[in-house]
Formats: sequence, structure tokens, C-alpha cells
Amino acid sequence: MTATHHTHHHAHAQELSKTDPRVKLIAAKMKKENHKPDALIEILHTAQNAFGFLPKEVLNFIAKELHLPPSRVYSTVTFYHFFSLKSKGEHTCLVCTGTACYVKGAQALLNKIESQFSLKPGQVTADNKLGVQVARCIGACGLAPAVVIDNDVHGKVTEEVIINSINEKIGTI
Amino acid sequence: MNRHELQAMVEKAKEKHKQLKHKICVCCGASCISSGSEEVLKKLQNEIKTRGLENEIEVVPSGCMGPCNQGPLVKHLPENTIYQRVDCENLDRIIESQIVEGKPVEDMLLFADSREKPFVNANEDPFFKKQLKIALKDCGDINPEEIEDYFAVGGYQALDKALYRMTPEEVISEVKQSRIRGRGGAGYPTGLKWETVYKYVSPQKYVICNGDEGDPGAFMDRSVLEGNPHRIIEGMTIAGYAIGASKGFAYIRGEYPLAIKRFEQAIKQATKHGLLGKNILGSPFSFEVEVRIGAGAFVCGEETALIASIEGKRGTPKPRPPFPAESGLWGKPTLINNVETFAAIAPIIQNDGEWYSETGTAKSAGTKVFALAGKINYSGLIEVPMGTTLREVVFEIGGGIQGGAEFKAAQTGGPSGGCIPAEHLDVKMDYESLTSLGSIMGSGGLIVMDKSSDMVDVARFFMEFCMDESCGKCVPCRVGTKMMHDLLQKIYDGKATQIDLDRLEELAVYVKETSLCGLGGSAPNPLLSTLRHFRQEYESKILKEA
Amino acid sequence: MNKISVIIDEKKFDVDPQKTILEVCRENGIEILTMCHLKGLMDIGACRLCIVEVEGINRLLSACTTKVAPNMVVKTATDRIKRYQRITTELFFAERNHVCAVCVSNGKCELQNLGYKVELDHIRYPHLFPQCEVDTSHPWYVMDHNRCIMCTRCVRVCNEVEGAHNWDVMNRGHQVRIISDFNTPWGQSTTCTSCGKCLHACPTGAIWPKAIVQGQLEKNPVMVTELVERRKMKL
Repeated sequence: MTATHHTHHHAHAQELSKTDPRVKLIAAKMKKENHKPDALIEILHTAQNAFGFLPKEVLNFIAKELHLPPSRVYSTVTFYHFFSLKSKGEHTCLVCTGTACYVKGAQALLNKIESQFSLKPGQVTADNKLGVQVARCIGACGLAPAVVIDNDVHGKVTEEVIINSINEKIGTI
Repeated sequence: MNRHELQAMVEKAKEKHKQLKHKICVCCGASCISSGSEEVLKKLQNEIKTRGLENEIEVVPSGCMGPCNQGPLVKHLPENTIYQRVDCENLDRIIESQIVEGKPVEDMLLFADSREKPFVNANEDPFFKKQLKIALKDCGDINPEEIEDYFAVGGYQALDKALYRMTPEEVISEVKQSRIRGRGGAGYPTGLKWETVYKYVSPQKYVICNGDEGDPGAFMDRSVLEGNPHRIIEGMTIAGYAIGASKGFAYIRGEYPLAIKRFEQAIKQATKHGLLGKNILGSPFSFEVEVRIGAGAFVCGEETALIASIEGKRGTPKPRPPFPAESGLWGKPTLINNVETFAAIAPIIQNDGEWYSETGTAKSAGTKVFALAGKINYSGLIEVPMGTTLREVVFEIGGGIQGGAEFKAAQTGGPSGGCIPAEHLDVKMDYESLTSLGSIMGSGGLIVMDKSSDMVDVARFFMEFCMDESCGKCVPCRVGTKMMHDLLQKIYDGKATQIDLDRLEELAVYVKETSLCGLGGSAPNPLLSTLRHFRQEYESKILKEA
Repeated sequence: MNKISVIIDEKKFDVDPQKTILEVCRENGIEILTMCHLKGLMDIGACRLCIVEVEGINRLLSACTTKVAPNMVVKTATDRIKRYQRITTELFFAERNHVCAVCVSNGKCELQNLGYKVELDHIRYPHLFPQCEVDTSHPWYVMDHNRCIMCTRCVRVCNEVEGAHNWDVMNRGHQVRIISDFNTPWGQSTTCTSCGKCLHACPTGAIWPKAIVQGQLEKNPVMVTELVERRKMKL
């Protein structure tokens, strides 16, 4: 596996389909918020939950529906680290680098991941199976160092545990 | 629901608890959940049912109990016996011995592996003995997902008292008398803030609960939101009544999905019971609360940035004045307090301001929640009276340094704070004392470091954080944090000269004094405080001129 | 309207309480350095050049966003302020890639003038030399991010005066950049009206019309101010 900076999926390059359930979800959210521009961030949360990231077509759809200038939407998306313009990978490994985890060796975990999967934080494997991210503190300081693989929090993680857990995830597909 | 119906609900909930022989709480805070407490809870509930004990023993999930790195924790009430590292296998021993025979399982008691004689009543353990729980009271003893559990501990009684026996002025006066100061870090007197917003005349005002706990190493707000969300709703509603607001927002970090889930659930329950919405408890007062989910920007802890974020914009701060009290959310007078501040409101109203002010020091009243982490034996969540010394926190409550290593420094206030070295271990933890040492109280993160920590690296770590979290609006913070980070890296790499160090110091003071908001204004603090207490570590890395 | 008294640099002035410290200073010939301020646009207090000391307040306040208050005592030119203005200017120059000799604004640049004002003769901080793009996709104009100081005057004029909102800011911290639409090339913008107000609002050579050679750019930021004032009168 080699790392690449992931660009947009070709699958998303075309127009959004109105029958796509994910698009419907976003449309419903916008309706619930009365198409208020104030609700932009809430709507972006919904969109990212639905798509896993925020493809440009989705941003365009939201901007049009809320009557917001494209640059206003893009500026908001890129301000918040929670939002991603590129796919984070089918499986994600999020290493907490908050102070407690840093003190307890989060960097060593990242080094191990890099040597094992050739992935630096923010990168996704070429096959889009695994993405690695860092968080500024997930608030599980009592369990430092902590790692979130997909949605499971793993505490007091060792290099061995993290590699095994990742292999388990990406191997099961 | 009117107030009489509330009283009836409260009595009923209390009565139900009286009839129970035992209550067993399984900690379902984020930490314990990730060590598997939900499975323990499920198995325990099944066991109690199979044995037909559900009328005598209630098993509930609870919020954080405190000693997070001993989890999963199970608490047996009313004896207050806490068991540590409980899993689905050793749970059988608790059931057979504690539940069936009424005998505690000695070797599974909290801290059984590190104390010579662990305590059957956890409150006698030094970890809890020095603590005083006001904000965290009930957190860990009640099920945060059931409003009845909150009723059973006198929930919403303070709101009833405020609405029916106090005027808004009296509520404010009580908060003023308590001398509580903002628990988000800056320590502005809460009562004064309420009074300021109260005085502005406007048809629409807002209450905002700041739960954008962004300091790495801090999880106080998360634990309260997860463990006792109704307490926050009650505090916000009382604040709304006092200042004349009909709408509140709780801004919660997106990184805290469990806190968001439980808080939203609590809003629904409170609304269903008429404790939020129109004509609360039959009074003329109406108030509603909405959750806003943060999207990962530390700067949104800053009041004006948080407001911009609720308005759906980039979270960039605005120069103050005007302060949010005058012109905040959508230009309307807005009260912003931290989660922990709101957590203390109901007890202050329920007892009175004077009662609260009797705890703590002359200038810092009440208690403070700290999140202990780092190279400390017992990390977790604690609440102590203001003025408790750092030594008491680290060595008595926290059980000292891991592996018996030597204490080097404690970092308080996260990226806005500083380090307190060993010679100041006897400092009283209050706003003024910490500030005088070049640190700040901050929101309550307390990270303990031993001799293995390199203080230049610590300063570099926090500067990198501030550089990444700078919103980029004002020049000193946008460019200054980057320059300082690069200079710190250069020093850390052993490539810097005395001139670099001089420049770094000059920049630090410049960024501190000229930045637009509190993020830039405090970003140099970790650097300045490590320079103050550990200058030799910097100088030892500086290239000596040939 | 009732006037209030303020003392600025030890001189007393009777002024309209709705005015900012900056407005009062400018009207009375007291020089205040600014970069993100452009009369007619909303003030944001971002460049921190106009910081002043106000008695009784321990923070430095930006004159452009702070209104005068009764009996306010303001100092605009203390040694501390001058020292900080110099550092701010140095950071401006060190942040991006400013090469005056090849710049269309050479000799007429607000940043260059600022350098003269604070008597800058060298930059003490390491230049960051970021990789910046030059967007030449628009048929008439060029956006050179190397010369941008993130004052956001272009963003505000486009949004507040032209109402197009082509420009905004992406990312955060030192990674911020001015963007058009979805960070798309300016020439492909769906919102730009090609009105050219941004190029006049821009204090440096970051936005300029094509077919202009080095040092020949004439900018007219006052045009923005006058336009806003004329519109107010019409209303």
C-alpha cells in the first residue's frame, strides 16, 4: 500500500442525484432549519455524516439551497477541522495527540503506523481502505494514549495493539 | 407540568429510591465505556433480573465517578463501595460476594492493587477525602439518561424556588453573593456578568452554555454534560429567568458525541415535563434550549468566536468592546457561561450564595473541577475547594508520580496556561495565585510531568497547538505563533543562538499584548512560564558562539 | 447631539460619542497607522497597527473598533506602541513574498509606505517564504497571493459594497488565503462582476489590472469611501 494525497472521487464528479438518499437527508435537514444560513454548520454536519466527507457537488448544492455565496460556504468548511473536503478512507484510525496522550507516547504510535502502512496523519491509502488522522484531544486523558479506530475508542494503546486492531479492520473486508 | 406535579414527581422518585435496598451504578462515562463498561452493565442487569432481585436492587448506568484510569468502575450504594477494572468475568465475584452475601470483594476494591489497605467506603480513600463535590455532586450516583433520577436528588427544585420565590434581581443577587467566578478560565465574576446582561433592555436576549472544551488534557465539561445534563439545563434556565432570556444554546464539542446525545435526550425529557418550553412549571416564564455542535476549532471557546460559530460562520473573534453582554448573538445581549459555572447554579440557588462563598479562598470562592492527567498515579476527574494546594492535589489525591519518579512540573490552563515547578508545589490553587506564577487556572486541565519531560518540547507542543488553532485574522497571532513555533523548533533542534532566544522573548511579549483575542493573548503563556521557571533548559540548547 | 470630552495624547477634544477613537484622531490630525481599515468598510481590528493605550484598561485596544467614551484618556504614540507597530510591519513583510522591485505597486504601495513610516531598514525575523499562487485566470485582473497581507479589504468591498461576495477567506492560522468561490480560479467565478472595486481597495500589489508594468499601478482606495458616502446620501 502506498500513500497518496487523495483527491476527489470520480464517482462524485457528476451532478448529485435528487433520489440519492444522502441528498434527501441533507435536503430534509435544510427544510427543518428553514433554509436559514445560520444553520450552515448544522447542515454541514449532516452532509458530512451522510457522505463521510464534503464533496464539492454537495457544497454547491447547499450553497444554492441556502442562497449563500460559494466562497462563504467554502470559507466556513475550511475553517473547521471537523469538516473534510476529501475522503477519510473506508476505515479510519484517529490518534489522539492531546497533552496527556503526547506525554504517554502518541508520537511513537504515529511513527509505528507510518512505518507499517506508509501513512502520515491526514493521508489515505491508495485503495482508500485506511485513513490516519490526529485529534487534538478526545477527552479520554485517563486512558492515554488513546486511539479511535472507526468509532471504537481504544485506551492505553500499545504499538502492537494498534497495528493488530487496524489489520483486523482492513482485513475483514 | 406545574410545580405541584413536580413536587409529586420528586416525592415519588425519592420514595422509590427509599424502597430499594441497593443501587448499583456502572460508570458509563466515555472513559469507562471505552474500557467495556457497557457490557458489564448489560450483564449485571441481566443477572439481577434472572435472580429476581430487580425490586430490591437497581442497576443503572451513571456518569463519571472520577478515577478514570481504574475503569470500568462499579459503585455499590448506599455503602459507597467502588470496584475497579470490572469486566464480565470478575463481575461474577461481585455478584456472589457483594450482592448475594453482602461481603465486599477486597481485592477488587478501588486502588486495591496500589494501596496497602483499600477502603470499603470509597469516600474514606484519600482520592475522595480531600474532595468536595458541588458541581460534580450526583454525577456518578445517578442515571444521566433518566430525569426521575435527577428528581430523586432534588432536581429542578432550585428552578422552582427561583421561579416562585425569587425575583430575577434576587437570583442575580444570590449569584453575586456566592462570589462564583467564571469557570471557563478567565475568572470573571459570574454575578456581575448576569447583572450586566440583565440591565440591557432588549426584547430578545440569549443564554449560551460554552461546552467547547478545547484544551488538550481537559475533560471536566464533558464529564458533567455526560454525567448530569439536567443540572446544566436547570442552571441555564435559572440564568434565562434572571437575565430575561427566552432562548438558550448549548455549544458542545463535536468530539463529544456521548455528551451531545445525553444532553439532547435531557432537553427532550425536560421539555416533556414542562421544565423547558412555554410557561415553565406553570409560571409566566418560557425558555427553550438548543444544542449546537462544535466543528473542531479551539478558538470557538472565545466568546465572540463562539457566537460567530452559532451564527453559522467562521469562528473568528471580534474586538471587544462591544462585549457580548451588550451585543452578542445576532447583535442581542447575550450571557455566556461555561458548563462548570452552570453546574454550580442550582446548588447556589437551592442553598444560598453565602453557603457557596464559605468554601474556597477570599478571592476565589467555591470549588473547582480539575482533570488530572499525565505522569500521575491516579488520573481522573476531581473537585476540590479553591485554595487546595497543588501538593495536596498531586500527592494526596493523585497518589504521587508514576513509578515513584520525581515531580518536575504541573501544567495548568492548557495552551493558555503555564507550568508550575516543584518549588511552588505548595501554591494554593486559586485564580490569583496561579496567575502570579505565570500560569492560569484555565478550565481545569492539570497535567503532571516528571523529570523525563523536556520543557522546551512542552512549550513547542503548545505553541504548535496555538499556531494550528489561530484563526488567522489578526497579524500578531497569525504570523507570531508561526514564528515562535519555528524558533522553538530551532532551539529544540539545537540550532539556535542567543539572538534567536532574544527574538523569541520579544515576540512572545508582543503577541501577548497586541493580539485581538484571548487565544493570541495567552498563546505565549506556556513559553513565557517555562522560560521563567526552566530557563536553563533553553540555554543548554543554545549554540555557544565560537 | 451632546458632545463628550476625551483626552488624546494629552490634548482635550469635545467629540461626538458615536465616533471611534480612529475617527476622532484622523479628524484632528493625529496620525494613526492602519492597514485593514478603509473608510466606508466595516472595521475588523485585524492588523493591530492602530492599537492605542487607554487609561484604566490593561489591554491595548484597536482605535478603529473602539468608540470614544466620556473622559477617556488615550495615548497613541508611546514607545511601546511604536515598538509593536514596527514588529507588526516586519511580520507583514516576512509572512509572504514581497519583492518591491518587481511589484506593480512599487512606490505607491501602502505596505511600502508603512515600512517608511516605522523606519524599517531590515527584517529581523526569518521570512516564511510560503508557496503562493498567482491567479491570472481573470481576463482583466491578476491576484498575486505572494503580495497579499490578508487585510480582507477586497473581501469586504466585494461583499458590503458590490454585494457580489466573490471573495472570502479559506483555512485558518498562517494557512489563510483569499479565495474566489470554491477556491476556484478567479476567471471561472460565478459571482464576480468584474467591477474592479477589490483592486482599488487592495493596499498592496496583490490585485492589479493586467497590462500594467512595474511601478505604474494607480490605485484609488478613496473611490470606495466616496462611493459608500454617496450611497448613504442618496438614502
